[in-house]
Amino acid sequence: MDSKHAYVEETQEQMRSVKSPSGISIMWRELVRDKVALFSLIFLILITTFVYGISLFLSQEEIVTVDLFAIHEPPSSEYWLGTDYGGRDIFGQLIIGTRNSLSIGILVTLMTGLIGIIYGLVSGYYGGTIDNMLMRIVDFFMILPFLMVIIVFVAIVPKYTILSFSLIMTAFLWMGIARLIRSKALQERELDYAQASRTLGSSHLKIMFTQVLPNLSSLIIVTMTLNLAANIGLESGLSFLGFGFPESTPSLGTLLGYARNPQTLEFRWWVWVPAAVLIFILMLSVRNVGEALKRATDARQRRG
Amino acid sequence: MEFLEVKNLKVHFPIRGGLFNRKIDAVKAVDDVSFQMEEGKTYGLVGESGSGKTTIGRAIVGLNKITAGKIFFEGKDLASAKNKSIRKDIQMIFQDPYSSLNPKKRVLDIVAEPIRNYESLTRKEEKQKVQDLMERVGLSAEAILKYPHEFSGGQRQRIGVARAIALKPKLIIADEPVSALDVSVQAQVLNFMQDIQKDLNLTYLFISHDLGIVKHMCDQIGIMYKGRYVESGKKEDIFTNPQHIYTKRLIAAIPDIDPRNRDFQKNHRRDVQKMYDQSYHEYFDKEGLAYHLQHISESHQVALPHRKVD
Repeated sequence: MDSKHAYVEETQEQMRSVKSPSGISIMWRELVRDKVALFSLIFLILITTFVYGISLFLSQEEIVTVDLFAIHEPPSSEYWLGTDYGGRDIFGQLIIGTRNSLSIGILVTLMTGLIGIIYGLVSGYYGGTIDNMLMRIVDFFMILPFLMVIIVFVAIVPKYTILSFSLIMTAFLWMGIARLIRSKALQERELDYAQASRTLGSSHLKIMFTQVLPNLSSLIIVTMTLNLAANIGLESGLSFLGFGFPESTPSLGTLLGYARNPQTLEFRWWVWVPAAVLIFILMLSVRNVGEALKRATDARQRRG
Repeated sequence: MEFLEVKNLKVHFPIRGGLFNRKIDAVKAVDDVSFQMEEGKTYGLVGESGSGKTTIGRAIVGLNKITAGKIFFEGKDLASAKNKSIRKDIQMIFQDPYSSLNPKKRVLDIVAEPIRNYESLTRKEEKQKVQDLMERVGLSAEAILKYPHEFSGGQRQRIGVARAIALKPKLIIADEPVSALDVSVQAQVLNFMQDIQKDLNLTYLFISHDLGIVKHMCDQIGIMYKGRYVESGKKEDIFTNPQHIYTKRLIAAIPDIDPRNRDFQKNHRRDVQKMYDQSYHEYFDKEGLAYHLQHISESHQVALPHRKVD
């Protein structure tokens, strides 16, 4: 009896040791293994907490107030990164600007993610005629010259906030993730577990969101991470062109936009170089993390 | 009143193509099949891949749309909407124990899924019920918090069985339940299925291409070829008195483990194959399909052309 008990314990011990790790822990292991990605992640976390933390103590109005006595000051102990042509503190603008850019990036990613996931899941799960109709709508949105439409929107809407700007971007950026989720949902619904749920009396909605969706989680995490980098870049690009935020709402793009003035570009590096470097590092970091997560979803590419 | 009656069942899948994606043809996966099942017995459906046996099972459980024909369960038409609730009396065991369990769900959630859909139990009662079910299928009750990938194939198929019997169904469609398992585990799962059949008074529709297993499990057998029935009858009818050349060939193909019979088996198989090649046109029509079934005894039906019987 004793030996049997010991045997059972032993096999249970073995089962515990061979237990395969969950999706999240695989992703975490991959991140830790890839030192560049790990460093990127730490950098991202630091910069996010730093930017959101500091901006609590900074007043946006105060920073964007024009000060004619301090125009184009080079970096000094008073203005750490100098001032722009309105005498506005660049360092303060950089902090607020990074916060605004990050907020938009995150907001757009979450909103496009939400719409895209639901849309793609419904389309892929039902398939057939419903899928056909929904995908034609996606095709319609995709052929729109969306950059131009966004520029028109920005011109029409008189006063826009972070939220309304994000909504405009979201309206033209949800199709990519919808198509991706749809293609995966088409595969998943054919698997026996989805069919089994039907025979067990679960409704279509229940199968979609409680059975199929969890199996798409790693794909969703990876896509959303990579989308975040793209969205930050897109916002900066629009602002650089002057179709994003006005100067009263600084973002990384508006700071970069000052470089359109050749004088600033050539002689006053402190106005635009920090923003350019920050955009570069931010996007690179997000991408590094995203790539590591992407590798984690494919066992053949893993390093961890 | 029969327990389950399938009447002139047809399941056709459209082939689309041409301009505007019209329906240009149909794959006749199941073409005019009728049979009856008795309560508490096991009915075996046998046939090669693509013969439509799985399609019949899926049509009964409601996964495939019926093109024509009717299915009656205890006298009630399964297709009519008001009989939705009897669906819970018909459950299915799937062929592949790997894809039929959701990899992201714990065993507790997998086995409790039907219970949550049809019964309102508290969390505690539900957990107790799942633990009981796990013990019934011979797995440890503590395993309910594990994920499917932590189990072997045989164990996973037992989880599939536990899920299928959770609602105390009357009929279980077993779609090649052991063909994905290795042989040592096959017998284990089959015997266990027979045990719970006795305990719960279950009726099985046993779909398989392995005649050896069918001989072990089934009371009634139907043999299919290209969507039609070729022969049906009691186990003894089929194995001792096969009438159709296709059945004869199938039975000749059952391997015999005794090496002393090897030469005999080999010659026998060759003879049957020769007979099959010669008389193919007598047993199948111009399109290579089987004829309609005709009674040759009370329980035994064979698909023979009219002139063969006369």
